[in-house]
Amino acid sequence: MNFNGKVLIVDDEAHIRKYVSLILRTLGAPVIIEAGNGRDGFEAYQREQPDLVLMDVNMPVQDGLETLKQIRAHDPEAVVIMLTSLASRQVIEEAAQHGAVFYLRKDTSRDEIVTQLRAILGEIFETGDPSPSAP
Amino acid sequence: MPPSEDSDLIRLKGRKILVVDDDRINIRILRGMLQVEGYDISEADTGESALTRYDEVQPDLVLLDVMLPDMDGFAVCRELGRRHGAQAAPVMFITAKQQSEDIVEGFSAGGVDYVAKPFRQKEVVARIRTHLQIRLLLATQRQFVNQLSQANTAKNKFLGMAAHDLRNPLASIRGLTEFLRDGTVGELSAPQLELLELIHQASQNMISLVNDLLDVATIEAGELRLTLAPVALGMLIEKSVTLNAMEAARKKTHIVFEEHTANPELKLDAPKIRQVIDNLLSNAVKFSPPGSTVRVTLRALTAGGHSISVLDEGPGIPEGERDKLFKDFGRLSVQPTGGEKSTGLGLAICRKIVEAHGGTISAENQAGHGCEFRVTLPPTP
Repeated sequence: MNFNGKVLIVDDEAHIRKYVSLILRTLGAPVIIEAGNGRDGFEAYQREQPDLVLMDVNMPVQDGLETLKQIRAHDPEAVVIMLTSLASRQVIEEAAQHGAVFYLRKDTSRDEIVTQLRAILGEIFETGDPSPSAP
Repeated sequence: MPPSEDSDLIRLKGRKILVVDDDRINIRILRGMLQVEGYDISEADTGESALTRYDEVQPDLVLLDVMLPDMDGFAVCRELGRRHGAQAAPVMFITAKQQSEDIVEGFSAGGVDYVAKPFRQKEVVARIRTHLQIRLLLATQRQFVNQLSQANTAKNKFLGMAAHDLRNPLASIRGLTEFLRDGTVGELSAPQLELLELIHQASQNMISLVNDLLDVATIEAGELRLTLAPVALGMLIEKSVTLNAMEAARKKTHIVFEEHTANPELKLDAPKIRQVIDNLLSNAVKFSPPGSTVRVTLRALTAGGHSISVLDEGPGIPEGERDKLFKDFGRLSVQPTGGEKSTGLGLAICRKIVEAHGGTISAENQAGHGCEFRVTLPPTP
């Protein structure tokens, strides 16, 4: 698939933002916006209206779960994927409850992340599921 | 007297002894001689009052007469054991009853010593000192064990946290080098690619180490949970052989899965048993010289259950290092033959996984050369 929507990456680690944005570029994403914490992430969301958000859970200033709630309250159709490490079930369940569509483990291999992301993006944006702004 | 004994005596001063006897004169004699030694004495003259006094003063030792007006001393001793278990103070019988069956009953009631009346003062004092010292040592040892176990828990927690926090950056370093290597962000020269390959390998090795550390921390914290489901063991081995054969091919080493008649369905945690087989195979390849053959055998055991054996052509386990083999960080003096890395944790993790399945893991050097690692799994109930 070729994903050509606008993506917002929210993570406090610059190397992770770079890594994830490279992965998205290989999937075709033409526009990638980055934010380093939840508060900046929500601001960027309001300003840029991205098609997809990839967001870390543990961040300074404002964490990912809180920001997820804000984004979904602001835009109930927002497509948000959480970026986790060895994720606790509790965090995943909470994120799912607040409308995150998926979670990606940052600590798996690049190929694994690409495969999972390709599958989930295909499901959401090509089979015409939730996002109205899907290309 | 050597200084160490001296200091032990000082530590014994003030220890509490409960003297139980219905004869006032006996009590007075014992009190007199024990107070000189610096002990704190309390008294009781019946079985009932002994049990009450015990709860009040929490003595470190009980001197117990056998013939008491209300119940016999053996019953008192048994009752103390029942109420306080392993924490109960040692009981020394001191009695005129000295038939061998009395002595035997005293010990079987839980007494630690038996002194016949009339007693020799020095003997009683020496025996009391010994039992108080044993009690003191036991208490100290219990405290040490508790402290060590707390320290170990803290260590595991730290280990888990550190390993956990290292995973993301390491995975991202590895992933970023892959983008560089692929030319995603521009072509690199051959020497640049060579350096990049080293960084990639180093990050890969660190990820393996961190994963092993996390496994150890999880297992040690008692969080190794097995998810059991029926699995065809032969298939599981087949998959592991196929995967490891690719790595082995780089060293021109062959992995051969011997003909097997059994392909049992066992209730196992498949990913974890797979981890064990992967580990044994990669070790066998690692420590065998290039061009070797690693043989894998699956057998049904006559006693029930199954065994998996992995036979390598390496140097075997050096004499005297066998006990390190299945322990955490138990790296041996033998080196991988192709510059591979080893964390010294793999076999420790294997042992824990196999034992959690109720199985065993062992290693035997073969006559000539090579070593056979053998995992046995019990029959599925």
